Amino acid sequence: MPAMTIPGSERFSSRPVDPDVLIKGLDGILPVHTVTQEQIDDLDPLTYEVIRHRLWSVTNEMGETLKRMSGSPIVTDANDFDFAICDEVGQEVQVGLYNCMLAGAIDLAIYWTLQNRVKNPGVHEGDMFLANDPWVGGGMHQNDVIVFQPIFHDGLLFGWTSAVCHEPDLGGVGLGSFSPSATDVFSEALPTPPIKVVRDFEVQEDVADAWVRRSRVPLLVGLDMRAKVGANTVGRKRLLEVIEIYGADTVKAVMKRMMNDAEGRLRGKLRSLPDGTWSTSGYQDQSHTGDRGVHKIQLKMTKVEDHLTFDFTGTDEQSGVINCTYAGMRGGAMLAIMPMLADDIPWAAGGLMRCFDLVADEGSIVNATYPAAVSRAPIGPAWALGQLVAECLSQMMDRTVEFRDRVQAACCGTFDTAVVAGLDQRGPFPVPFLNIVMDSVAAGYGARPKTDGMDTGGVFPIPMGRLPDVEMTEYLYPLMTVWRREEPDTGGPGRRRGGLSGSAALITYGTDFPVGLVVASAGKGVSQNGGLAGGYPGNTAVGIVARNTGVKDGFAQGKLPFDLASLAGDQELQQCYGETYIAPGDALYLHWQSGGGYGDPLLRDPQLVAHDLAEGKVTLAGASGSYGVVIDDGQVDVAATEALRAEVKQERMSRSTAPARDSGNSYEPGSGKRIDDNLVAVDSGGVDVVACAHCGHELGNPRTGASLNLAFFEGPTALAGPHVTAQPELYVDETVVFRQLCCPSCFTAVYSGVVPSSHVDHVLDLDRYLTV
Amino acid sequence: MAYVIGVDVGGTFTDAVLDDGDGRVVAAKSPSTPPDYSQGVMDAIAQLAENLGEPLDVMLGNTHHIAHGTTSSLNALVMGKVPPVGFLTTFGHRDSIYIMNVEGRYLGSAPHELQDVMGQTKTHLIPKSQAFEIAERIDHAGKVVVGLDEQSVRDSVGALLAQGIRSMAVSLLWSFRNPVHELRVREIIHEMDPDVFVALSHEVSPRIREFARSSTTIMSAQIGPGLRDYLGELEARLADAGLRGPLLVMQSNGGAIAAAEAPATAISTIGSVLTGGVIGAVNLGNQLGHKNIISTDVGGTTFLVGLIVGGEPVRASQTIINHHPINVPTLEVHAIGSGGGAIAWIDRGGNLQVGPRSAQSVPGPACYGAGGLEPTNTDANLVLGILPETGLVGGRKQLDVEAAREAIRTHIAEPLGLSVEDAAAAIYAIQNAQTGDLLRKTVVEAGRDPRDFVLYAFGGAGPAYCAAYAAEVGIREVIVPLGPVASGFSAFGLASSDVVLAQELSDPGLMPVSSEVTQQHFEELERQLGKALERQGLTFSEVHFLREMDLRYTAQLAEVSVTVPSGSLTPADMANAMNEFERKYAGLYGEGTGFSAAGIQSITLRVQATGVLPFEPKMPELDKASGADPCDAQVATRRVCLDSRVGYVDTSIYDYRKLLSGHVITGPAVIEVETTTVVVPPKMTGTVDHLGNLNIVTRG
Repeated sequence: MPAMTIPGSERFSSRPVDPDVLIKGLDGILPVHTVTQEQIDDLDPLTYEVIRHRLWSVTNEMGETLKRMSGSPIVTDANDFDFAICDEVGQEVQVGLYNCMLAGAIDLAIYWTLQNRVKNPGVHEGDMFLANDPWVGGGMHQNDVIVFQPIFHDGLLFGWTSAVCHEPDLGGVGLGSFSPSATDVFSEALPTPPIKVVRDFEVQEDVADAWVRRSRVPLLVGLDMRAKVGANTVGRKRLLEVIEIYGADTVKAVMKRMMNDAEGRLRGKLRSLPDGTWSTSGYQDQSHTGDRGVHKIQLKMTKVEDHLTFDFTGTDEQSGVINCTYAGMRGGAMLAIMPMLADDIPWAAGGLMRCFDLVADEGSIVNATYPAAVSRAPIGPAWALGQLVAECLSQMMDRTVEFRDRVQAACCGTFDTAVVAGLDQRGPFPVPFLNIVMDSVAAGYGARPKTDGMDTGGVFPIPMGRLPDVEMTEYLYPLMTVWRREEPDTGGPGRRRGGLSGSAALITYGTDFPVGLVVASAGKGVSQNGGLAGGYPGNTAVGIVARNTGVKDGFAQGKLPFDLASLAGDQELQQCYGETYIAPGDALYLHWQSGGGYGDPLLRDPQLVAHDLAEGKVTLAGASGSYGVVIDDGQVDVAATEALRAEVKQERMSRSTAPARDSGNSYEPGSGKRIDDNLVAVDSGGVDVVACAHCGHELGNPRTGASLNLAFFEGPTALAGPHVTAQPELYVDETVVFRQLCCPSCFTAVYSGVVPSSHVDHVLDLDRYLTV
Repeated sequence: MAYVIGVDVGGTFTDAVLDDGDGRVVAAKSPSTPPDYSQGVMDAIAQLAENLGEPLDVMLGNTHHIAHGTTSSLNALVMGKVPPVGFLTTFGHRDSIYIMNVEGRYLGSAPHELQDVMGQTKTHLIPKSQAFEIAERIDHAGKVVVGLDEQSVRDSVGALLAQGIRSMAVSLLWSFRNPVHELRVREIIHEMDPDVFVALSHEVSPRIREFARSSTTIMSAQIGPGLRDYLGELEARLADAGLRGPLLVMQSNGGAIAAAEAPATAISTIGSVLTGGVIGAVNLGNQLGHKNIISTDVGGTTFLVGLIVGGEPVRASQTIINHHPINVPTLEVHAIGSGGGAIAWIDRGGNLQVGPRSAQSVPGPACYGAGGLEPTNTDANLVLGILPETGLVGGRKQLDVEAAREAIRTHIAEPLGLSVEDAAAAIYAIQNAQTGDLLRKTVVEAGRDPRDFVLYAFGGAGPAYCAAYAAEVGIREVIVPLGPVASGFSAFGLASSDVVLAQELSDPGLMPVSSEVTQQHFEELERQLGKALERQGLTFSEVHFLREMDLRYTAQLAEVSVTVPSGSLTPADMANAMNEFERKYAGLYGEGTGFSAAGIQSITLRVQATGVLPFEPKMPELDKASGADPCDAQVATRRVCLDSRVGYVDTSIYDYRKLLSGHVITGPAVIEVETTTVVVPPKMTGTVDHLGNLNIVTRG
């Protein structure tokens, strides 16, 4: 069905603007403070550094304030929030280090406000605006609520501060404002374009009441709204103090220079990376309750000199709840760019965002039009497209020595969501509660050429993410965490192992009633945490409600369950999107995603595998099954390991189809310029060809074709390893396979994935390896 | 009148300062003696007796107490040189210390490290093979849900003992609410082996949130046995030498505790050696009228920075070591780099580097002739003429300038194609620039402008550089505390400390909580503290109890502390506490930001007991000079090089002992003090103040 659009909704779609045009439009309506290039150039280095750190410190203090004042554990304990100081038009000068996807959304709300609110109701000193409209910006789904404030100095609009955080519930038909069966935004929380919640430094109680009235947890939403007002108040006060000391022109010059510096430094990096085009695709398994589709996100990344273009043309149409607006697309790109390319560049995000363009069809998953349902935006499509951006950046960077340590296989591809709500009967009076289960924040990171992925390192889009202590969850809610732990074997096998994920089991504790449960996840049938350079994907996610487990009866006899098998009763497998309940006596089991591996696991140093076994990172079965390493009493059996690895290669050879075209040429192994773990570029009569780094076999020659010639295998997903437990047919209609592409001579894996059978192997594209 | 002695054990030197309560302050210095630091303490104290002119037993017999700051525990933790520790926790939750709330990836990182997500790693306190789960469960209200399976405890403890483990940390879920299982686990461990050191989480850190509580407990178990052995040995040696008063150990919170009490909560002393200098700077700042102070303590091994704002040291309720949270209230002290013993070396790119590796006290700089062959800052200073060949005026050690030149020649000068003199000047310049950069970063990242501060410089290696690094960051005024405390300033701070003990308990509840129950909690904490103060074996001039409640709006992460009156509590006091909380909250975050409708929760109750000691060491006054001209104190003119572009120039050398209050010294000049050397660079002036400090103005 083609995407429906609603006439009149277009005006709420905010897009990046030319700041000069925006300022010109304010001429005579709103006096604005700005500085000249000369003033920027005249800054002395010490003053620049001092003010730059001051601005960082002000931003940081806003974040601390928000965190201290908020009442949502998702803010206080999981750090899903962010904040920014912006210049007069809204360009981000300094963003926080929490949810870095929000950097892609904050400025959009300010641009929109300057275009739509200046004449009526006006933008004045002492105002603060509140918004949660993902099309306007400020956040990626309606639960991201921004409060932002214009800062005036001497009557001129000097800049903006802002604070965004995820609210636990803002109404709509689903718990936590998440309706897994929604097909449009009208089933979700109401999007609210910027409204003036503070006027003349006073919270407008009518507006505040209208705001909190929609929520299932109005007290928390009211507290958070005031927390954001507080954070902005602190930001304004501190910023004005800095202006007081150094003068408005100097401070503004620093702000502009911070963005220019960030832009210049990112462009400098891009120039030192190879030009080229990299394509890839990723998937959302299911789009909403009852759906059994596989939904594709397609990316073509082009890098020319100092500029990147991310073209998502070819992405599937918007569907179910797995869509994001332009803000989500931009935030998704930022989640990869900021940590991977701007790790050592101050996060003056306004400057960084000048270095790339986004292209996408209107009405597609990554650029949804109103009234698509978008509640899953940040943790579904934006995250998923960010993974694709990260993959393309990694493959580009792997070709250089300088950037190789930034290369990373995919991390956990989503936040495995479980919202629980019910009645807390522990106190003198029963009170309703609503909690987003946070255990799945402890996800795995992808492996890198020189290091294993971090075990339970967190979720990649939130650099300062955090997982609440079990005690804090049990104090706040009628829940008990039976276990929370790392799970061995889950890390994607590879020469470098992907970081482990974990599992948790929770029961209700302190309520006699069933507790409502909404689950929303992905990566259950199709992998989202792929490997790189032949590394395998990490584990598929699993969610189960075990009925009538007898856990509490066991307590009385001193019994504590320790794994899924020890939970008695029926085990109900949870689809990617669904609504059910946890009754007293039931248990919720969550097993979230790990990170993908890097390089062929048969190339992993057996001693590292033995160490992993000793530290509980792999099991004995995983060591032999995934790595071909035989360990006896803690020691590597070298001869048996070599024999087993040879056997696995033999098996790969016998099951694979040889490439249609194979030149049979071969080069000296180890010669040529490294492309990645397995591939080298070798000069062959004046033309670069691609050869196997291990055996020297020619794999691709631009004179004879545009793709690599690799041995092809496709089989059941279980062949990907013990950690891929998914039976894809339980989730989606399309056939999902384990696909492996190997060097047809030595059978080292060049690609290993769990993908729909329709997946196009862009990894074969020759032009991603050779600059043409 | 009785004496008070402060002893500060650094990585390189041990300093001792004695205050006789009658206007006299005496100092002594001796090399530290790792791994048995007690020898260095005894050496310094013997030296102190000599400088005082009294036999050791007479001096110690007159000593009211010794306040001690030690670096040994912190060094052991940071260097990972700790004995293996076993960890016992609740079934299903062993991995809490490996998952680390995922924040273990970035805790304690500077801003530029925070955004470098891919540069982060997790480090773990102990391997999984030393962590065991025991079957038991207590709920949030303290109710036993699953009784302790004693057999599972015995099995785990047996396995740990079989690994040769002698120290165990026990941290069970909700133990701070109901310690019954933790207490029983300790009994079982001691039934199996009475000599095993045991740290229980509800005793070390009775706060909600198991990750921080467990990591605090494990680290306490890592340093507890070493601290116990060390302090036991030291107390015995001091008693043998005639000490009748108690030995106190400085804690991270800036107050002291009796040595006998310290090992049980060893982790509270972790900042021991760091805080003495800050307390000393506050004390001296009060005398000089300085409210904003950057205190820089440069010893042989470390460079420590503490900030004092508005007369109060900047504090934190938690500290981070090795990316793990430690629930210990502390004065915030940053270790930012290297001291006088830092080794100069050439990196692979052919660049000259200084530090962070140090020659420490053994083997020490090349010029000490104790086996050190690598060039250090001290060697460079000797070649440059900043240090005299005769050594420090208070020292008895001739310095070997040829050894210093040889070390610089082979390691630096020849590889770089420089003369030995130019290489030494380059080391001096790098040390100044590097220190300036690190200092700027620390102060600026704390959101402060260094230009708003006065800088205090002490420690044996600080005064040779301080004017230069202060100028680098734009600080106008530098105070070098001289006189008897010149290099023993931290020890002076230790001597001026009081005993501060704190006890807290978490009892989360919705406000207004019962005033009766709260009063009972506070009385219990005060009773415990009263007993603990008695156990210190000291006479206090007064004792203060300060009651605090940590309150927050429902479900907030962070609490705001409010004080509660002593004595019996009424519901009105609870209401006042809520009002006080809301008032403070609005003050912190702005009017209208409070939201009492969400409910206010009480999380932690705390009592801080201060046992005020009847001593207030003051720096003695110095006689006034008749004029500003210090020519009578000039003892020599030496060729000194402070800048390779200028080279060696004739430089006035002053003997500090001959300087008087009001003398003004014009740079370039070197002032030789018993235990340190002060450089006044060209175009700067230094004035001797009424307490004998040198006040250097870095620019006009």
